[in-house]
Amino acid sequence: MSFLQPMILAALPLVALPIIIHLINQRRYQTIRWAAMMFLLAANRMSRGYARIRQWLIMAMRMAAIAGLVVAISRPMAGGWLGLAGGGKADTTIILVDRSPSMQQADVGGGGSKLSTGLTQLARTLATLGSNRWVLIDSVDGHPRELESIDELPRAPATGPSSAPADIAGMLQSARDYIKDNKVGRTEIWICSDDRANDWSPDGGRWPALRDAFGQLPQGVRFHLLSYAQPARGNLSVRVTEARRRKTGDTAELLLSLRLTRQDGGEGRQSIPVAFEIEGSRSVVDVDLAGPFAELKDHRIPLEKGKERGWGRVSIPADSNLADNDFWFTFEPPVERRAVIVTEEPTTARPIELAASISPDPNIPCAAEVLAPDQIAGVDWERVALLVWQAPLPDEASAGTIQAFLRRGGSAIFLPPRSPDANAFLGVRWTSWREPTGDAPIEGWRADEDLLANTQSGASLPVGRLQVRRACEFSGGKTTALATLKGGSPLMARVENPGGAVYFCGTTPAPGDSSFASGGIVLYVMVQRAMIAGSSALGTTRQLSAGETTHDDPARWQRIAGGDEAVSTEYASHRGVYDSGGKLLAVNRPAAEESASVLADGRVDSLFRGLDFSRVDGRAGGTGSLIQEVWRMFLVAMIVALVAEAGLCLPRIARPSAPSNHAGAASFAGATS
Amino acid sequence: MFPDRPSRSFLDLGVLSRLAGFPLFARRPMLGSVSGRHPSPHRGSSVEFAEYRKYVPGDDLRRLDWRAYGRSDRFFVKEFEADTNLRCCLVLDTSGSMDFGSTGVSKLEYARRIAGTIGQLALQQGDAVGLTCLADGIVRNIPPRRNPSHLSAIFDVLEQAKPHGQTTLPPVLHELAETISQRALVIVISDLFVEPEELRSCFQHLRFRKHDLAVFHLLDPQELKFEFRRPMRFLDMEGGPSIFAEPNEIAERYRKAIGGYLESVQEVVRESAVDYHRVSIDESYEQVLIRFLIGRTRSKGVR
Repeated sequence: MSFLQPMILAALPLVALPIIIHLINQRRYQTIRWAAMMFLLAANRMSRGYARIRQWLIMAMRMAAIAGLVVAISRPMAGGWLGLAGGGKADTTIILVDRSPSMQQADVGGGGSKLSTGLTQLARTLATLGSNRWVLIDSVDGHPRELESIDELPRAPATGPSSAPADIAGMLQSARDYIKDNKVGRTEIWICSDDRANDWSPDGGRWPALRDAFGQLPQGVRFHLLSYAQPARGNLSVRVTEARRRKTGDTAELLLSLRLTRQDGGEGRQSIPVAFEIEGSRSVVDVDLAGPFAELKDHRIPLEKGKERGWGRVSIPADSNLADNDFWFTFEPPVERRAVIVTEEPTTARPIELAASISPDPNIPCAAEVLAPDQIAGVDWERVALLVWQAPLPDEASAGTIQAFLRRGGSAIFLPPRSPDANAFLGVRWTSWREPTGDAPIEGWRADEDLLANTQSGASLPVGRLQVRRACEFSGGKTTALATLKGGSPLMARVENPGGAVYFCGTTPAPGDSSFASGGIVLYVMVQRAMIAGSSALGTTRQLSAGETTHDDPARWQRIAGGDEAVSTEYASHRGVYDSGGKLLAVNRPAAEESASVLADGRVDSLFRGLDFSRVDGRAGGTGSLIQEVWRMFLVAMIVALVAEAGLCLPRIARPSAPSNHAGAASFAGATS
Repeated sequence: MFPDRPSRSFLDLGVLSRLAGFPLFARRPMLGSVSGRHPSPHRGSSVEFAEYRKYVPGDDLRRLDWRAYGRSDRFFVKEFEADTNLRCCLVLDTSGSMDFGSTGVSKLEYARRIAGTIGQLALQQGDAVGLTCLADGIVRNIPPRRNPSHLSAIFDVLEQAKPHGQTTLPPVLHELAETISQRALVIVISDLFVEPEELRSCFQHLRFRKHDLAVFHLLDPQELKFEFRRPMRFLDMEGGPSIFAEPNEIAERYRKAIGGYLESVQEVVRESAVDYHRVSIDESYEQVLIRFLIGRTRSKGVR
């Protein structure tokens, strides 16, 4: 229990007032010479059990009445937020709202979603607590914005549902920057989230830094987490894994692959009617779901004759979370995947050229072109999906061209030159060649994502069997290692870049450098994956994950269809299909949202270790405030205590039939016999 | 009446003059020394016919009933009841507890008024009056006499009586039962702060000795109601230990104790045929005495 006026509690020692008055009263005794001592002695000898208990009860009732009054004036609140308002009204209250799709899960039996419930409860709670300043940081925008009143919170456009994941650590960083820049006083930070691991990224390196940063703030910062961590039992989600247009004779058809996911608690066989909607025409297919997953591969949907490109939607019946019941997609004829290999050693580039030019799908043409560094001026970058650069890093002029290519969405893999120079690209530069020791120098690699990830069947790539005979080290820039050599130095890394993917690989397929060419599986998969990623930006349609950064401004997009109402500046974070300068863009929730993993309470607590942190578990659909003032209860308790005290103080009613009662003595009027 | 004598504080001439019309009767036959207004166990020469008895030689011929001889031709002697005076023994409790009084008058002062007035009334009708003051024993004892100067001595003792010592009523009453000659009127004026069972034996002893026993049980209204607001320290007026008490806590039990005590006393006096008068000292003692005298008038004549 916490209190809105905790200072009043300082008056609680007044509870001892009845005892003090009792003691003072005892000290103010009178002395009297008394004749009828035999009756006093007899009264003292009589059983004093009930009388003593009654006196104690009267005293206890008086103390309870005072305690009830003091507590009632302190305006107590019920809700389990221990220490919620220990210091009174906050100077600034920052509200962090997780708008990710999982927050749109509603409770069984109706009621609002987690997001709407959380916003309503927060608004009511914070209206009760009060603050001098309200600041909202939502998971889509991530920037602080001040609210005129807390009542705006549930209605603000920046608190509506979205399809983008949340970055709680980033939002906390924004909050910290706001506190520091504006030099605010005592601050309360309220986080409304469902504790999904993909939103919190508990293993990210930012949390220790955040803890330190908040710990160093001179003003007190308190964290309150309104957690809606209940999983959606049996919730189904649908995701299109592939949408391909294929020409069949004079006509064409769309091959759709999708994946149904049933979240924890779902058991038994289930037939799910999956609806396909392609620009107005609708069809339904029942998909049997026996386990947690079900796949539908290459479901054929005939297309109109001459229909080159278009968009569509796959949906399943409504369940507890409406945000993952549909998926938007676009399609068009496959574009040629074209790779440009810039090398100073054409023989070294030959295996790469082969890997790039052999298509995994006969319907998708692949091509590769080998160029010298000075020939890149003549490249038609609009048709290139992948750039492989095995030469000294590009100079300033060439770097500008390549960065434009990357901004457009192309992929690039940089291999080390024979003679590293001082040039750097995106902050990364080659340092020197060295020869690793041992037969299997690759110590580890990222098998869960990116170029070296496991195959769709789950089999891992034979990266560990690769022989790296010579490797060139690189340094600088913001990189994420994908494969590391013994000793910890990276062999392959992804460079952080807002556009297309950029990789640095520390060796070449030359036989003297590595066995990439002889054990060509890894090289082939790497190159094809990079080409697929780069070609996704080449056509006139594109699949985007909500919240993903794009090189064009979402505010200029035209909405064609979509699931949520959204302002144009947030189109990139809302599922739907958009037209961006003639390109069709399908925006959907990211794949990580399919995972229902929720952080354990202890894990969340550990993220705020050393900080003033409290949490409460909310429930979707709850409409009341998180806290309620309960002073009426204490007032009633005080009245009950007073009535009980009065009842105990009343003299016992004498039984008129009793001949020897003491009332007869009191009403003495002389007796004669 | 005695203009040359000093006035007594416990005597009110107005009360005496108003009570002069109420005779003091004994409830049972008395053995007096002279003729009086009380019944005697012997035959006498009063105007009240008692019985006829056969003449035996030696009887006074003047008491022969000649009319009965004329009717029956036998000699009968006509006998009449004897009237005598009584010996009134006033027993006054002068223990420390008699000093208590919350109404401005102590129980002892109230007892003085009752004793003085009864003594005066008894002497006026020719009865002998004595006084015994007792506390932890017999403090003063004046045997009954019927001359008016004796009354002055009794009044002096009454005036000088000081409340002191513990109440030891039962042994003193037993002693008086034995020392006072048979058939006397014994009037006990006390607060009776002793166990009722001890009183029972005393009263039955006095009854056995054919005394007419009257008791004035004096109680203060404060002792009966026990109404205090603040914590009190009660000092025993008879020298016992003091008691500290919270009146709110103890009042109920105190009233219960005194209620039970009064009930027991009532039962004892009923069984012992005692002329019992419970008196709250805020009452007018004149009314108390009127009730006393009228009550005795009703029960007069039992021989």
